[in-house]
Amino acid sequence: MPTEKFVIPIGPQHPALKEPGHFEFNVDGEVVKAASVRLGYVHRGIEKGCETRNYVQAAYLVERICGICSHVHATAFSLGVERLADVEAPPRAQAIRQIVAELERIHSHLLWVGVAAHEAGFDTLFMYSWRDRETVMNLLEGITGNRVNYSANVLGGVKCDIGPEQAEVILEGLRFLEERTRHYLEVVSTDAVFLRRTRGIGVMTRDDAERLGVVGPTARASGVPRDVRVDAPYLLYREHPVELIVEQAGDLEARFKVRVRELFESFRVIRELLAALPDGDLTTRMPRRIKPAETVSRIEAPRGELFYFIKSNGSDTAERVKVRTPTLPNMASVVVTAVGHQLADVPMILAGIDPCFSCNDRMAVVRQGGEAEVWTWERLRQYGIEHYR
Amino acid sequence: MSTETCLQTAASLLAAWAQETTGPEPGRADVVIASGDLIAAAGALIDARWGYLTAITGLDLGPDDGRLEVLYHFACGAAIVTFRVRVPREGAAVPSLVSVIPSVSFYERELMEMFGVTVEGTPNTDKLFLPEDWPDGVYPLRKDFSMEQLNGQGGG
Repeated sequence: MPTEKFVIPIGPQHPALKEPGHFEFNVDGEVVKAASVRLGYVHRGIEKGCETRNYVQAAYLVERICGICSHVHATAFSLGVERLADVEAPPRAQAIRQIVAELERIHSHLLWVGVAAHEAGFDTLFMYSWRDRETVMNLLEGITGNRVNYSANVLGGVKCDIGPEQAEVILEGLRFLEERTRHYLEVVSTDAVFLRRTRGIGVMTRDDAERLGVVGPTARASGVPRDVRVDAPYLLYREHPVELIVEQAGDLEARFKVRVRELFESFRVIRELLAALPDGDLTTRMPRRIKPAETVSRIEAPRGELFYFIKSNGSDTAERVKVRTPTLPNMASVVVTAVGHQLADVPMILAGIDPCFSCNDRMAVVRQGGEAEVWTWERLRQYGIEHYR
Repeated sequence: MSTETCLQTAASLLAAWAQETTGPEPGRADVVIASGDLIAAAGALIDARWGYLTAITGLDLGPDDGRLEVLYHFACGAAIVTFRVRVPREGAAVPSLVSVIPSVSFYERELMEMFGVTVEGTPNTDKLFLPEDWPDGVYPLRKDFSMEQLNGQGGG
């Protein structure tokens, strides 16, 4: 009897927080044989939009590319436009940009720990990490006035200062978060039930990681020493560097460890910056029109290298703004690493690269030539949990 | 490897195909490459394990100029080497890099649908970002794109 094959479409409303995507998994019994991806469900034409809005307006637009790591977009854009205009933001502004960037990384990584734990059926960890994430959200709101889309940047500097009282509040928040993070590191590296869902699952070798061009924690968990903050320091990462965190195993456990271990570097560098916050202005004067030139601006976002290419044409509006977000190269790795795994591991492998999830996802199981059966994302998640029970 | 060494290594690796090399910014080199030499030039960097392809940028020089540029940005540490491949806007085509960089498919799909550049030999020509009912022959990131092209066609 010929083996029946199933095509399992997941999505498109799947990782709907930032980038909903549609995946098709070809399964033979329980085992994934092939996978493909279709993106674009929240494509808003922002690159095109930047060609009809001046630099100040475009800065607001790019901050809204991602609701989780909005600051990195505004920072990459601002640094690029400033370079085109031969303007450098004052040191105090650069320090504040870096502090907000690292706070954003803490919020993003804690969010991810929660989402990935939820996919594994570990809802206690999900609840705790999201409760603790409120602390860093409050710190970001205290500095910028916003929990998301902080709008800390203006072209030529920042619009919010950090005074001594604010610094004390941040330090107190960091003390609490660091203690909690130590606990999370212990949980993700010792909890026997959790390790069954992460150890040896979704392995990507260093060769594969390099061949696929993955970036960020996904690359570093496979032993690839790649971090823009270290490789091509921007802001004050040269004066106040972070240590490159690398794990060798390349599995989900390694991806958990890299992200959680990185948090300690974020805590440390924020403290260092607060202790050595340079005096001076928050902004410097920016010209409205910018001479024709091209620049490349790269930032280490929480999910990996964020790439901007900006071309100016002498006017107050960019000729071209190209954005390559870290999820795009990392998504390619899902398609490869899912092959050969149990269908029950798919939720965790997808979560492993830290795309953005939402609960309203839908999934359909289609029997080729037969009747279609619709699965919700919740049902696939539950299926994964039952499988490992 | 220092940024300077990275750029020098790239320059010597690419010497056979570089038609023109400029340094637009510190740490960057722009190398004009003919589309016919693209696979060989990219292969030279990949074989030497010189960095990775970080992005492909499409650039429309406009109907008056009549050309499109496809920029292949390779990163090695802080060094960025950009291949500039110039193709006519009419019948724009570049060869696929999938034989040397298997993960390039996403970038090529984006280039095809946004700029109307045919990527010859790429394994997947499905839309990546645009809707399925997007009208044929309409490329949103070209300079002469207008919303009128979408009206009355059920797209957009």
